[in-house]
This record gives sequence, C-alpha cells and structure tokens, in this order.
Amino acid sequence: MSAHTHRVAGHRLPRRDGVGKVTGKHVYAADFKLPGMLYGRVLRSTRAHALIKKIDASRAAAIAGVRGIITSADIPQIRYGTAVRDTTVFATDRALFIGHAIAAVAATSLEIAERALAAIEVEYEDLPPLFDPEEALKSDIRIHPDWETYKALPIISRNRNIAGQARIRVGDAEAAFAKAHKVYEHRFSTALQHPGYTEPRVATADWDANGIVTVWCNTQLPFDTQTTLAEILDLPAARVRVTVPGIGGGFGGKLRIGVEHFAALLARKTARPVKVMSTSEEELTAALPRQASIVLLKTAVDKEGHLLARSGRIIVDCGAYAGSGPGTAAIALQVMAGPYKPGALAFESVAVYTNKVHSGSFRAPAGPMANFAMECQIDMIAKDLGLDPLEMRLRNVVKEGDPGPSGEIHRSVSIEECLRKAADAIGWHDRNPEPGRGKGIACSWWMTTGGSSGVYVKINPDGSATLVSGAVEIGTGAITGAAQILAEELSLDLTDVNVTGVDTQAAPFDYGAQGSRTTFSVGNACLAAAAELRRQMFELAAEQLEAPIEDMKLQDKHVVAGNKSISIAELARISRLAGGGLIAHGTAISPAPAYDPTRVQNHPLPVWNTPSYHAHAVDLSVDQATGKVTINRYVVAQDVGYAINPTYIEGQIEGGVAQGIGQALSEEIVYQDGRVMNANLTDYKMPTAMDVPEIESIIVECRSAAGPYGAKGVGEPPCIEPPAAIGNAIAAATGCWPNSLPMTAEKIAAAMQVQHS
Amino acid sequence: MNRKILNIVVNGESHQVLIEPHWTLLQVLRNEIGMMGTKENCLEAECGVCTVLLDGKAINSCILLAGQVEGCSITTIEGIGDPEHLHPLQEAFIECGAVQCGYCIPGMILTAKSFLDENPGCRPSRDEIREAIAGTLCRCTGYRKIIDAVATAADRIALSGAKQ
Amino acid sequence: MSFDLHRPATVTEAVDLAQRFAPTARYVAGGTDTVIQINRKKIDPAHLIDVACLPGMSEITETADAFALGALIKYRSIETHPAFRGNLRVLLEAASVVGGHQVRNIATIGGNIVNASPAADFVPPLLALDASLDITGPKGRRSVALRDFIVGPGRTNLSPVEIVTSIRFAKLPARSATAFLKEGRRRAMEISVVCVAACLTLEVSASRCACVRLAIGAASPKAFRPEQAEGYLIGKPAGNESFAEAGRLAAEASSPISDVRASAGYRRDLVAVMVERALTTCLQRIREQNQ
Repeated sequence: MSAHTHRVAGHRLPRRDGVGKVTGKHVYAADFKLPGMLYGRVLRSTRAHALIKKIDASRAAAIAGVRGIITSADIPQIRYGTAVRDTTVFATDRALFIGHAIAAVAATSLEIAERALAAIEVEYEDLPPLFDPEEALKSDIRIHPDWETYKALPIISRNRNIAGQARIRVGDAEAAFAKAHKVYEHRFSTALQHPGYTEPRVATADWDANGIVTVWCNTQLPFDTQTTLAEILDLPAARVRVTVPGIGGGFGGKLRIGVEHFAALLARKTARPVKVMSTSEEELTAALPRQASIVLLKTAVDKEGHLLARSGRIIVDCGAYAGSGPGTAAIALQVMAGPYKPGALAFESVAVYTNKVHSGSFRAPAGPMANFAMECQIDMIAKDLGLDPLEMRLRNVVKEGDPGPSGEIHRSVSIEECLRKAADAIGWHDRNPEPGRGKGIACSWWMTTGGSSGVYVKINPDGSATLVSGAVEIGTGAITGAAQILAEELSLDLTDVNVTGVDTQAAPFDYGAQGSRTTFSVGNACLAAAAELRRQMFELAAEQLEAPIEDMKLQDKHVVAGNKSISIAELARISRLAGGGLIAHGTAISPAPAYDPTRVQNHPLPVWNTPSYHAHAVDLSVDQATGKVTINRYVVAQDVGYAINPTYIEGQIEGGVAQGIGQALSEEIVYQDGRVMNANLTDYKMPTAMDVPEIESIIVECRSAAGPYGAKGVGEPPCIEPPAAIGNAIAAATGCWPNSLPMTAEKIAAAMQVQHS
Repeated sequence: MNRKILNIVVNGESHQVLIEPHWTLLQVLRNEIGMMGTKENCLEAECGVCTVLLDGKAINSCILLAGQVEGCSITTIEGIGDPEHLHPLQEAFIECGAVQCGYCIPGMILTAKSFLDENPGCRPSRDEIREAIAGTLCRCTGYRKIIDAVATAADRIALSGAKQ
Repeated sequence: MSFDLHRPATVTEAVDLAQRFAPTARYVAGGTDTVIQINRKKIDPAHLIDVACLPGMSEITETADAFALGALIKYRSIETHPAFRGNLRVLLEAASVVGGHQVRNIATIGGNIVNASPAADFVPPLLALDASLDITGPKGRRSVALRDFIVGPGRTNLSPVEIVTSIRFAKLPARSATAFLKEGRRRAMEISVVCVAACLTLEVSASRCACVRLAIGAASPKAFRPEQAEGYLIGKPAGNESFAEAGRLAAEASSPISDVRASAGYRRDLVAVMVERALTTCLQRIREQNQ
C-alpha cells in the first residue's frame, strides 16, 4: 500500500480521546477514588546528608484518624533501580538529600496525615555533604559507602561516587589534535529541569481478597512499575496489577516509580485503599527532573572547518541515586558526536552521585545538554574561522551510507535537507537584520526508541475494532496514530477503532510511553495484528463467498473478491458463532542495527535505532540594556519519516520547543547548600503563553525501513535543539555566548558587560 | 468540627453542602459535588488547571475559600457542554489539535470563555488571546494550537451571534 | 490550619468582629495571597473575616479633580476601565501584569496594598500618583498617605482591626503622563524582579520637567520614591541625558537583595534602565497627547 493513497493514515484526524478531555469526563489518575479511601503523605528529610539515629512515630500514631505509619523498618529491605540497584523506598540508615523519603502516613484526611508528619520525630546526625559533582569525583566522602555491594547492569562501570561511566572512541583523537589547524576547548553547564507535567504523580492502591494489589496511577511505564512494585512488595509480578486511568503529561518524569510504592505499602499496612499524591513542593524537591550537567569539549578542525577530532566529557549530576543517570550520560556521547562525520572521537560520560534529588529521563535525556555544548561550540569555531555557521555544518553533516559514531551506517539521512529548509524559512541570508537582533541554527539527530510492543485486536459484531494495548496514551496522540494505522489496514474509519485503557492484567506487554516510540512500535504491532486479522477474515470469507483467498482484498469495511463481497461485521458475527470471534495478537520489536563494539565501552545504549534528523532556526532580539530575550520567530524542520497524523506531529514539535525554550531561558531548580530555593510554581519558571512564539513546523518525510509506512520516532527531538539554537542566536545578536543554562536575562547582561569592558 | 452549610449553584443546579471553613472551592467541587473536570495541581494559583467561572468570571478555585462563595453561581467544564452538545470552544479545541494530555484543557477552555464573554461577539487578536490564557500553564502544546482554537471559536461565536 | 470564617455585612460589623477576635483575626478579601500564606503555614489565623462583599468598596469614583478607588476593586476592573487609558495609564499597566486573568478577576487592589510586599505591582503606581488611603477602624475614619502607610516588608501602619476602604489620588495636570514597567524572567505570571512607575509633568514650555514622581518596587525593603532622582529632574530638560542621570540616582538610592529571582547588582542595573525608560515613555506619551 503506498502512503499517498492512505485514507486514514497521514490525515489530520481528531484524536480518539478528545471529547472526553474537553468535557471534563476523561478520568485521570488524580481523579480516581475508592470508598473508604485513606490519604497518604510522605515525611521527607530536612537534612542533605545525615545519619538517621532515631525515628519516633509514637506521637503521630496516637493522633485520631491516623491509620498507619511506615518507615524503612516496616518493609522488605530491597534496593531497586534501572542501571544500578541503589534505590530504597525510604532512607535506611542515612538521609541522602533534602526531600529523601523517611516515613509515610495514611490517615482519614490529608490534614490529619499532614499533622501526623509534623508529629514524627527524627533524630539526625549530620554528615559532610557533597553538592558539586566535580567535587564528588575527587572527594573521599562516599554517598553510597556500600556501592560495591549493589547489583547493577553488567555493562555499567562504577567507581566510588561514579554511578556509571561510558566511552566512545573512534580513531586516534590525540594524534589528530597534534596536527590540526586549530583546537578549541570550551566548558558548558546546564541546570536541573522539572518535566513540568500538569498532573502531579499520584497513585491509589487497594488489596483484594486474593492478595492482589491494584494500583491506579499515572505512570508512563505500567509494566516496569508492576515489576518494580513486585520487588518492593516482595510478591510475584502477577499479584501486582497496574492500571492507568488517564495521565496528565509525563515527559519522562513518570517513567519510574514515584508514589505508587507508598500507596501500595500503606494500603497493605492499613488494609484500606490509600491514595498518595505529590505536592508541588515534593514535585520540585523529590521528583525525577532532568539532570544538571557539565560538558567539556575539545575540537580540532582544518582550515575549511572540517571536524578532524573531538574529545569531550559530560558530567551528569545524578543526585542521591543513579536513576537514569548512567544511561542519560552515555546517550550524550552520541548527541555530542552529532549528525556529523565522526572524525576521531574520544568521548567520555560520567554519572556522579551528589546529595541532591535523584534525577530521571526527561524527554530526550542528555539531548539538550550535549547538543547545547556541541552546537554552540560549532558556532564559536565558525565565528573564529570566519565561516558561516550553516556552511560549516553542511561541510560536516553525514550523508547516506556514512558511518555513525558507533560504526553503524546512517540510512534515510535528511540532515542537509532539514538544515537548508530551516535556514531558508528563517531567512538565513540576513543573520543580523538590525542591532541587537540575531539568528541562530542548531541541528541534531536522535534515536527511535526500541523495545517491544504487543497488541490484541478484536473485531466486534458491528464491524468495529477494539485495540488493546499496554501503551499509555500520554497525550501525544500516539495511540490515535496507532489506531489510524489499524483502521487503514482494516479499511475502517478511525472512529471504528475503540481503544481500551491500560491494565497490566489484561493488556499485552508494551515497553511503555518512553522515548520516541509509541506510534512507531504500537503501530508496527497493529500492522502485524491487522495482517493476522486479514488472514482470518479471508479464510472465513473464502468459505462464505466461495472465492479464492488470492483474489481477496479489504475495501470499505468489506472483504471483496471480484464482484463478490461480505462485510467485516458479518464475518465477525459468523466467527462468533463458529470460531470464537476474530481476534489477533500483533507484536513488534526493532532489532538494533549492526555496529562496531570496539568503539563503545560500558554504554547501555551503544547504537541508535532508526535515527531521525532535525534542525532548528530562531530569530530573536536581545535587549541591550537588560539582556532580555524576545523570540521573534522559531522554525523547526524535522524528519519524521512518514507523518501519520501531521496535527499531532506539529503538536509534538510545538510543545517540545516550548519546553526547550523554558530550559534555554527560564527554568531551573535552584539549589543552595542542598536546599531547593524555588520549590513552587511561582519561582520555577515554565513558559506561559506569553513566552512561547508561534513555532513553525516543517515536516520532512524521509522514510525509514523499520517504521510503519516509513515513520520515525517523533516525540523527543523537538526539545533537543532549542538551547543551542537560542544560544547561537543570542551570540549572533550580542557577540557573546552565555554558556550556562538557563540563559537568563541577567546572565546575558553580565556577558555583554564583560564583553564591553 | 465547625461545619457550616454552603449554598451554591453549580452549573445551574442548587447545592447545599456541609463544609469546613478551610475548604477551598476546588475541594468542594471535586470532593463534595463530584465535578472532577475541575483539576488539581499547584494549589497556589500558578498553573490554572483548577479554573472555574465564578458568576461568569474565571478564577482559581484552588485558593478561594468555599465559604466565600455562599449564594454564588459556579460554572465548571461540565456546565458548558457535553459530548452530544459541545460548546464552540470545546469543538474548536478538538478540531484544532489543541488537546494533548488534556489536564489543563478544562481550565484553559474556561479561561478563554471568561475572556470571550467579557466582550460578546469580539474577535480578539492572537496576542490578546495569548495574554488572556497566560494564567493557565500547558506543558504539552506550546500554546499555538490552543490559540488557534480560541480564535476559531471566537469567530464562530461572533458569527452565530451576528446571525441571531 | 483551622479557623472560623466570618462574613460581616458592613464595615462596622467587620471592625467589630476584628476587635472581638483580635489578635487572632485577619481580614480576607480575594484571598489570593491570604489562602496561600495559610497553606504555606506562614500565618495561622483563628478567625478570618471576609470583607470581599462589603458594600460601597468596589466603586471607581471620579470627581472634577480626583479619583477614589474602592479597596475591593479587582485588577481586571482597572484594566478594562476607560478612565485609565489616558494619562493614568500607569494603573492599567500595573493591573494588567498581576498574575493571570483568574487572579485579576478576584484579587483586590486593597489587598495588594495592605499585603505590603516589596514587589507588590500596584503600590508603585499609587505612590507615583501620591495616593492616600481611607481607613476605617474602631475609632472612626482616618486618612494616610500611601508613602507613610507601608513601613517595611509586609508591614504597614494599619492596626489589625482597621480596614482600608478606598484609595484616593488627584488627577494630573496638563502635560502629564505616567508609565509602568516590570521586569521578570517571564512575560506573564511573574513576581517583579524590579518594577517602576513614573509620573511626569512638563513645564508649560513642554521641554522641561515640572514635576516628577518615581516609584520603584522590588528593589528595597519597601516600594520607595527616589527623591534625589525626582528632585534632580525638576527644571531639567526632559530627555535622554537627564532621564539617564535620574536612573542612575534612583539605582543609587535602591537597596535591593539577592534572591532566587535575581542578584542585587542586576536589580540595581535594572532600576537605572527602567527609570530612564519609564520617563522616556512618559515623555513620548505627553508628546502624543499634544499631537
């Protein structure tokens, strides 16, 4: 089937859950409640690094309405985690950051639970803290004194405060530096950024008579949550049921367990349903933000601006637990390599523990940090060499068939097209239209996240289809996209596809709404299920129509063979009476491409699946006196392979850029002496409607071999380039790069002052 | 507890609720009356997901004491349309692709309605819309399609007003 | 967090209640600040006296030479009122940058004043208009100049039982204009990093400054009038040079703090720039009026 003839796929159709969401009828996890439900709250450490000498909850337990209190002493002593199993439900013998969970209370009301928290007495003995990741690399203080006893993925290389260290090496970088025309060294830093989902993390748990605990929550990864909960509760996974009624955003901040374990443990303790919801303060002090990082880059070029060799180091501040830090740090290496011919590379990532909040996998983990450093440095070099930054990029970008950093082969390459389209749209020929105004460009590549998906699809007697998936519709429209693919393949309308909610007990496995994969992977699973359903329907139709299967096709909700036809609805009814109904299981997995393992060491994601390419261009003005940035225009050219629903692809681009603008200019969780200074939405500055320009999307379609109809992953890339593109435009407008995020007006003004003096 | 009776009209229906003095309108709407379309997040009037109309004007229900709205009329998202009879704003939000996770959308639609109702039949500029909705944070959309939706709805409302 | 909510019908009743329950009573109007402070456990009143619906405190009254604003007027009413589109634009400009529409539909200007935050956006415009407050208490009514009313961060000379009922200021003479500028990290939903209100009146010649009132917020423990800068400008030619010098003097007079929003040094720099710009805007506006 060729894409331009598609009736459903590729069209701007309204999402399946839209009506529920605009009428207030869509139920989110935060809306969920059960009769007799208790309210849980978590006591959090007020010390950044301290021994816990004593926890006395007796006064709290005596408060009327308090139904249960748990601390580390009351629960199975296990450590969990993705890369490194270093995490505990509660602080054990020591508190590792301000905000570390110490105890949890369930009470008949939130107010009572809060009073109980205040009545729990904790005796601490302070330990010397480590807040600076570079200091943590050198210090003799151990944030995890027993780190060697922790289990970890075999690929992860650890050492003392280092939770993970990876390398990519290509050729002989040192030799190339020695004979290069010029060598540049720069240092960049980026800040902690909260994912900013509007629905806080929330879970309601209840245990049934069979000892099965059901958790209604807003996780992005129900199956991962199920597995982790089973470990924490010391139960077989089948006795943990995770279901996601609805989720108000996630952006990677709801991948790993947030409050589900507190709800489940309190429910077990009290034998009552318990709901736990994060407060704003907890979100900003104890959630899973994007890590702060430091990037050091050294780059050698020839006279024409060709990249000869690059070395670099990214230090990712994981906070108190590794979280996704080791993987995030390692991914930065591919981002630092960029969509450029590798030349010689010597990149290293270090994920380091500090006494701050542990971090997660916010949308395109490591992407914006590494890209900010790498792409700003390209512009710095171009300026020094007297080259047009666009031209310098075009001289270095990969072409079809070129090797990538891991020795894999770049396929369906569109980076040049993206760069040229973004540059043309922004009016690149006129980079400084007036004083204080400048244009910047940045580009990147990014993976389509792997992992497997399974779906069940059944045909109902009215001819409609029901899609059962374990993938969460996080808001992107991904499940609508998958439903479009299914409808396309079954000759149905989109409105004929019903989508069920996610329930680990009933739905087939899905790797989850993480990375950039849901439409891609669930879509591929839908293709497989549709093929199986066609087979079943054609076999059944062959009996009914007395026609050969080879002549059959699906058309307008019928199986057609020559001039004979039978409706899908009729076949579904016949199958119900005679065959148990039309039902199929479709699965999909994208195998990783071949690569050269000698280039990549201790890297949990050594090679990228089906990469996408993209370029961002921005036109902005800087107030020469105050440093305030006004974005005049913002253009994105992104290769999506095949646009399954252009409306929601634009939605991903516009929303991702808005988050990137926040990271570039205003957002930062500010720590001072281990304490978050802005733990509220008054001072954590996410962009408002006044702060985001009308983002212009140029959808580039360079088909992939692996995605449905040639699609590539879409969701994460839009937030990668904004800091770099904006940084380069600020430099075009002012002559200086504020090389730390966020680039606040104050930092820009300071940089301009330094330049003028 | 010193509970008191609160009389309010929600979406045209009279309600009598026994409340505690510190309860906010948000708590009463969600916990006592069951209007779950009114969402809960920051509880400090910074995000706007809790927006409802108080006598027609958008306010943050999270920091308004319920006891202060005795006798007032409240409109929640459930009160402006239902799946069979969508309000033009609701329709336009779906059509324009302005809905992603959807958690801010009830508040966003009510903020927009309050603004459009200030000047019946108005067709605000995109900048005016932008300013009007700035008190409601959306993390998914980057706002462009939300502005599209409000502008589209405003046009339709103005047009149908002109016809009548 | 446990209190009784009282809803008196008149100002007298309200004051009586406050007296009865003092010192654990507190007035509440729109509640946009009070409820947050209660939730953050910054205050813990046993009695809240709801004054939001008191009669006679929500009117904008215009006389031949003055305005009186009821203390319960909402920001959104100021924003949309035709009286503040001319040379009193400073009020509209300040009102329209407080929170979002949702806050401006319910938060009162009186609340902003008695709250006395150093960053309160509506205080500098009223200082620049030399406003005074009408206050009712157990001993009757009194009037006080706004500049004497606020004494420090969160502190005023209002006794806990008194109520600010209205705000009065004189209309401006011919050849006058006002302006309000605010800087924050975002373009909306900001607590001011610095805000500046300016009120400029030119001499009959329309080239020299006859009267200048400046007010600066978020750059000192309380919003203040930089008197040296104001005095310097009297009789000086209105223009970039004198405005820049006034900005410099105002910056010198400010005593900002460093906090999570900005450093003291940046705030001081902003004061200089914003004072100059606010005056320039006033000058442009006067010229536009005369065209």
